Amino acid sequence: MKNSIGKMLKICLSLLLCLALSGCWNSRELDSLAIVMGYAIDKSDEEGLVDMTAQVAVLSDGGSSDNSSSSSNTASSEAYWNITRTGSSIFTILRDYTHESSRKLYSPHNQVIIFGNDLAKNGIRDYLDFFLRDHETRLNVWILVAKDKASDILDVKPKLEKIPAIGLSDLIEDQKATSETVQIRIRDFLERLISDTTASIAPLVEVIGEGKDQIVEMSGTAVFKQDKLVGELNKTETRGLLWVLSKVNSGIITVEAPGGTADLEIVSTETQVNVEILDDGSITAHVKITESGNIGSQTGSGDLSKTDNVKILEQNMNDAITAEVFSAVEKAKELDADIFGFGDMFYKKYPQQWKSMKENWDELFNEIKVEVEVDAKLRGSGRIVKPAYPAEEE
Amino acid sequence: MLKFIFSKIKTNTALKKIKAIQANQGQKDQPSVKLLRSLDKNLTIFKEVLGESNDIITREFICGQTQMKAVLIYVDGLTNVAVINENIMKPLMYDSKLTDSKNEAKIKNINDFKEIMLSAGDVKDSDAFDELINGCMSGDSVLLIDGFSSGLIISSRGWDMRAVETPQTGSVVRGPREGFTENMRTNTALIRRKIKDPALKLEVLKIGRKTQTNVCIAHIEGVANPGLIKEVKDRISKIDTDAILESGYIEQYIEDAPFSIFATIGYSEKPDVIASRLLSGAVAIIVDGTPIVLTAPLLFIENFQTSEDYYMRPYFASVLRLLRILSFAISVLAPPVYVALVSFHQELIPTPLLFTMAKAMEGTPFPAVIEAAVMLLTYEILREAGIRLPKPIGQAISIVGALVMGQSAVSAGLVGAPMVIVVAITAVSSFVVPDQADSGAIMRWLLLILAGAMGGFGITMGLLIVLIHLASLESFGMPYLSPLAPMRPADLKDSVIRAPLWLMKTRPTGMARQNPTRQKDNTPSKIKNPTK
Repeated sequence: MKNSIGKMLKICLSLLLCLALSGCWNSRELDSLAIVMGYAIDKSDEEGLVDMTAQVAVLSDGGSSDNSSSSSNTASSEAYWNITRTGSSIFTILRDYTHESSRKLYSPHNQVIIFGNDLAKNGIRDYLDFFLRDHETRLNVWILVAKDKASDILDVKPKLEKIPAIGLSDLIEDQKATSETVQIRIRDFLERLISDTTASIAPLVEVIGEGKDQIVEMSGTAVFKQDKLVGELNKTETRGLLWVLSKVNSGIITVEAPGGTADLEIVSTETQVNVEILDDGSITAHVKITESGNIGSQTGSGDLSKTDNVKILEQNMNDAITAEVFSAVEKAKELDADIFGFGDMFYKKYPQQWKSMKENWDELFNEIKVEVEVDAKLRGSGRIVKPAYPAEEE
Repeated sequence: MLKFIFSKIKTNTALKKIKAIQANQGQKDQPSVKLLRSLDKNLTIFKEVLGESNDIITREFICGQTQMKAVLIYVDGLTNVAVINENIMKPLMYDSKLTDSKNEAKIKNINDFKEIMLSAGDVKDSDAFDELINGCMSGDSVLLIDGFSSGLIISSRGWDMRAVETPQTGSVVRGPREGFTENMRTNTALIRRKIKDPALKLEVLKIGRKTQTNVCIAHIEGVANPGLIKEVKDRISKIDTDAILESGYIEQYIEDAPFSIFATIGYSEKPDVIASRLLSGAVAIIVDGTPIVLTAPLLFIENFQTSEDYYMRPYFASVLRLLRILSFAISVLAPPVYVALVSFHQELIPTPLLFTMAKAMEGTPFPAVIEAAVMLLTYEILREAGIRLPKPIGQAISIVGALVMGQSAVSAGLVGAPMVIVVAITAVSSFVVPDQADSGAIMRWLLLILAGAMGGFGITMGLLIVLIHLASLESFGMPYLSPLAPMRPADLKDSVIRAPLWLMKTRPTGMARQNPTRQKDNTPSKIKNPTK
């Protein structure tokens, strides 16, 4: 008996020792947290400081289950609360919020981090550090760049969601349908930032409209050189970029069709990029895109079920995709930013030569010859085969 | 005169001895007090020992023409009056076999009564007072005849008892509905009706100084390990207490881990369950006076098995076993995990769910762990009240519990609605595994406290302690967690899942080492006739 008590003590002791192994961990009641849904970071009017806006979800309308009519009329208050403080670093501002907020800000459920245009132009490296270092923040937060001030974005109440940050996060998820906007999480952003040559990218958002009709729109891609904003891609150029990155999920390509136009839906894509240093020292990147799609809709009365017409559509699709890719390449060369990550591909394939190429990669990137080979296939025509209104007999 | 005094002294010494024996009952192997030759003296002693209880009948009569005085002593209510009248009194008083043609007594010996006179089933002779008294107390009739220094114990038991009914516990949709009764004989008969093999051995011990309870140890010879049988017998025969009122008494005296919250001896109210356990090599302990029959050893996994598993086809039976294990986990873990999530690991909750939960908890006055404790306590009180109350009032309790406590506690803002849901699912799932409901409730509270203090880390620690404890338990030499730990691959066919019956060719290897083969090849394809 004595022995077994001793054994139990030893077991309990060794289990207690595990306490020392655990990390930061503390008891906080759910109703003592201010759940942050989004951060917007802007350059402050004062030199060297930043304004940070935190969007906190306000959940007080929930209390009891039977708040059918009486409370919903009176509780017209917002579902969120934006707090803005100014300070020299993210961490100091975050602690500074406690001067205004009765609850401690809680970041794990943060959806978006938006950088203002001015701040992005000056470089955002210093402000990313906290989001990586702190244990409460997550690496799957969406990164966005505002065309103007970031805090404005968080002020626009979405029409369908209650909280702007959630609306924004859902909006980004939604971009898969068109593949005209990049989807960048903080870890993707950093992956590119760590690379010597690859330029970081982030989706651009802007507020359009006035007053009550204000909405937030995704409008292309912000291109960073190192951590500084240098330019932007429009929607077509963005999809061109996504073709090369093999990140086109879905989308519509409108092409000329016999007797009108046809909207072709992208169903599945795959891209292989092969970089090469040729014997004469010039460098090329060979982009091979395999795509298959469906006919989504058509105008005119051409019979697209005919094999000849399908061939024509496929060829038109090939041309359209090629054009999109080249528009992106041109823009990238114009901005001097290797958004495609060709540099890293050379580094992996030619580690020896890379040492010398690295120095003058900017010039080399401008000279890179991009070849695009598209293999587009049409798989289906939807529920109908022939056009809705057949050509009139002549 | 001298003779009279002498006989008086004799009577008194015998009485004193009996009293002394009764005073320190239990000290075994005492010399028993022998019966005297004189009926009057014996009767005096009997009356002195049995006292004035009016349910004890002493019927004095004369045996037929022999003029021998006789006394029949029995307890009214424990005896079958028809047997006494027809098979004991009648032959003794009217039969002419007692005398030969010359009208002389041909009885030389008390055994002659047994052999030629009494038409009752079980008759044995004894010359010890305590044995005769015990027989009388158990419902047998004691026959004393003048001039013989031994008496007869005639089986005449018969009393009112409950019929074989459907048991309250372990009800089934498919399978036999009969259950044990309070009568040990009925119970052994129910088992024997399932197993008609002479190898089914029943051995009866009398335990309890005052209650003299019959405890029957059943096993199948050649299947159960002799070591196990011996161990069970040893442990039971070492019990020296004054009362065994229910099989729970036996269980608590002989179990391996009396300090554990987990039971290491199984029980059932159903003959088919006991029969199947006996056939797997277990030992059953049937206690007179209770419908609950014990089995040993008990493995942890057996708590998740029901008799119905074997009666239905194997696929759904296996799914049900997994479901039971899941339900047990939910019943133990749901409140602690909820508390840990809400007060420590909010980052683990999906954002939309977090919103819902935070909204529900907004404005509730207590921390989640207090909320959970109060709700669980309320539930335990309601459950206990529901069991003890008469059935019609039980419904009122559940209405008060469900509506008043649940609904109004939420609308009054005292507890969050998710907490009510968590407690409700906990309550419901705790009934899925009734055999572990008691240990589950204790674990639930333990883990809740740990979760409230240390979050998920506390739960992990608590579960580790429980796991270490479970792994250290043994039930009559069988590791409690087998066949999972130590792993016995051959026994896994009937553990978490239930293999088809025709695949279960062997008995559990750890339990039935002597006779491991349960059946020959009964694969259905071999059994059915070939068709074209």
